[in-house]
Amino acid sequence: MSILRPTRVLAITDSLEVGGAERVAVDIVNSLDRNRHEALFCATRTGGPLRHQLLPDVEVEIIGRRATWDLAGMARFAEWVRSHDVDILHSHGRGTMKFVALCRRAGLVSTPHLFHDHYGRLHLDRRAEPGLRSALRTGVDAYVGVDSRLCDWARTSVGLPAERVHLARSGVDLSRFDGIEPIDLRVAFDLQGVELVLVMVANYRQQKDHPTVLRALALLAPEVRQRLAVVTIGSTESEPGFFERCWKMATDLGVTDHLRVAGAHDDALQLLAGADAGLLASKNETGPLVVLEYMASSLPFVVTDTGEITRAVRDLPIGYTPAPRDPKALAEALTALVDLGAAGRTAMGLRGRAVAEAAFDQSKVTDEIERVYHQVLTRHHISTPRQEPAVIVLPNADRQYSPSG
Amino acid sequence: MTVITHAPPATHTDHRRLTVSVALCTYEGERWIGPFLESLRSQHLLPDELVVQDDGSADATVALVKTFARTAPFDVRLEVNEYRLGSTANFERVLERTTGQLVALADQDDLWYPTKLERLVGLLEDDPILTLAFSDADLLDPAGTPTGRRLWSGRGIRHLLTTHEIVPGVLFARRALSTGCTMVARRRAVEAALPFPSSLDDPIAPMRHDRWLSLVAGAVGTVRAIPEPLLGFRVHPDQQTGVLTSSQLRRRLLRAGAAALRPADPSRAHEHRARARQVAEAAHRADCLGDFNEADELHRVVRHHEARADLGPTVGRRLSTMWTELTTGGYDRSTLGAAGVLADAARALRPPRKGRS
Repeated sequence: MSILRPTRVLAITDSLEVGGAERVAVDIVNSLDRNRHEALFCATRTGGPLRHQLLPDVEVEIIGRRATWDLAGMARFAEWVRSHDVDILHSHGRGTMKFVALCRRAGLVSTPHLFHDHYGRLHLDRRAEPGLRSALRTGVDAYVGVDSRLCDWARTSVGLPAERVHLARSGVDLSRFDGIEPIDLRVAFDLQGVELVLVMVANYRQQKDHPTVLRALALLAPEVRQRLAVVTIGSTESEPGFFERCWKMATDLGVTDHLRVAGAHDDALQLLAGADAGLLASKNETGPLVVLEYMASSLPFVVTDTGEITRAVRDLPIGYTPAPRDPKALAEALTALVDLGAAGRTAMGLRGRAVAEAAFDQSKVTDEIERVYHQVLTRHHISTPRQEPAVIVLPNADRQYSPSG
Repeated sequence: MTVITHAPPATHTDHRRLTVSVALCTYEGERWIGPFLESLRSQHLLPDELVVQDDGSADATVALVKTFARTAPFDVRLEVNEYRLGSTANFERVLERTTGQLVALADQDDLWYPTKLERLVGLLEDDPILTLAFSDADLLDPAGTPTGRRLWSGRGIRHLLTTHEIVPGVLFARRALSTGCTMVARRRAVEAALPFPSSLDDPIAPMRHDRWLSLVAGAVGTVRAIPEPLLGFRVHPDQQTGVLTSSQLRRRLLRAGAAALRPADPSRAHEHRARARQVAEAAHRADCLGDFNEADELHRVVRHHEARADLGPTVGRRLSTMWTELTTGGYDRSTLGAAGVLADAARALRPPRKGRS
């Protein structure tokens, strides 16, 4: 007997709070080809504001587990997966992956599992501790890393076979940026007369590198510095004390006149639409997604050279990518952006938007993820034939496959 | 591995080539320096400059460098000290004179394999978050013949470094892990480390230039260790930093064990105070650069050393201090773990010996 229906994909995250991994998960689910896929979403711990950004046809389940070894949570999750006849599990984030892998290894679910790794602390730790290694080796069928360093780690430190490791740069849903009403930053933040207003979208936390921005502002020639201002968008309460130390540094360096702290904002895209350029300094990134948001908003940018997206665009004339943690290099990039003039910056921003459309549109990235789904499913069905095999029909004849191979 | 991307391929490796300085300190090295310079000439990736600081050699070392400079395929800049500075200060001076975006430290008696610079520079170019990268080395006898042993194994740090590809900065506060000739540092790590603080010259607990540079590089950035041996490290009686043979290591451990059974030596307290000052200096530099988290970690190590320097006047107080450090993880961070606990327990239970302080 054959079952003719789209592939049922379950995206799994810890929560639906606003975060890089969650954002990617939501964007992929929303952009899956609905002729070929049904999308479901499971947050294993809690919900969050991103729930409202999922398309209406996406069924959402909140498991409410409290730990990796939450037996009741595992049972609920497994029951939900079975009852929805899910074809593929797509987990995001290492904690979520461990939970799903544990369910797999405990025999509660047998559904193929693809893990999407967004781990961003590569600058601090690249160990593959035994629990993580074991979960990846025995509970994951395919590994998708958002950064080539992650993929190298998966192959060399974890020992995953190369054919199961895939690099997937993140994409951006460009439609989110259409028809955005800009906020006039000069009015909103008392910056009348400032020639260049940059926005930096980053919560105040150690991985982001606000101190390097402050030191770069201090290094700028006075005649350059007086022409620009930086508006930071992001929570000041993510890590206790960090914002206060940054502000003290800004005061000590005498750059507070050129800095505005907007705090966390729900309307970040409107602020981006009202900016002249994007800015980001980080100690390490594996994306960073915000670069795509700058490009999608037609903003030229100055972004420290870390992460797979920055690596991909660093040689293109759409922005500046100075070395991370290097205030001198950041100051030089800011000076170059100022010297470019308004017309030059506008042209640079438009080129960035064109690159975003050509290379990073979410639909293109999702197409490739779909291909990985089907590779995994093919492999899974070959290795575990059922008595009553399912035949999953894809629109393209060349992508149709069955358990018999 | 498959690559999922529609993005333009990264083409950074060519035009992003960073300039490389080799910083070489020499002193009475006429026996060794010729082969070293030839190994430098044979690098697949040649440096942009070789900066030499001679510490007043009386032998033919300077002449050999000058001869090499005439045919070297890169700039060679030699300076001879008027009076002897010693190894650490000599390295400080040579680092000040380098101009490259990356700086490779060199010893006069080693043999670099042809891929050494290419490999380490490639790592730093490819991953801009790295501030310093260092490798393992094959041990050579004085004649330059491989002994079959490796540097990391010889120093008992192989397991630690193979399990910590990214070496946390606090581990450099705990012990010396990287040897200068195996490392390439990014300019901003070098700038953060200069000038060297006077506390490095402590007579009882000196800190060498390479450990200091690694400590600072870890505090203001990311340090990566790679287990490949990229050079031959010559072990001979004249060198400043040697490697212990198994029997030497055993003898040292026995001496340490015997010392633990004798009345507590006040110099141990001095050593902890000196280490606290050195680590505090690194923490201060990280703090000034805005690396607050890293600075906080180092400050915890400083407090641990300060606590161990003055365990307390009574046995009860000393054991209480130790217990606090044990339960707050101090021993994990800044000593050799169990060995440190045992040594302190011996100190805690015995009256202090009169003597140096």
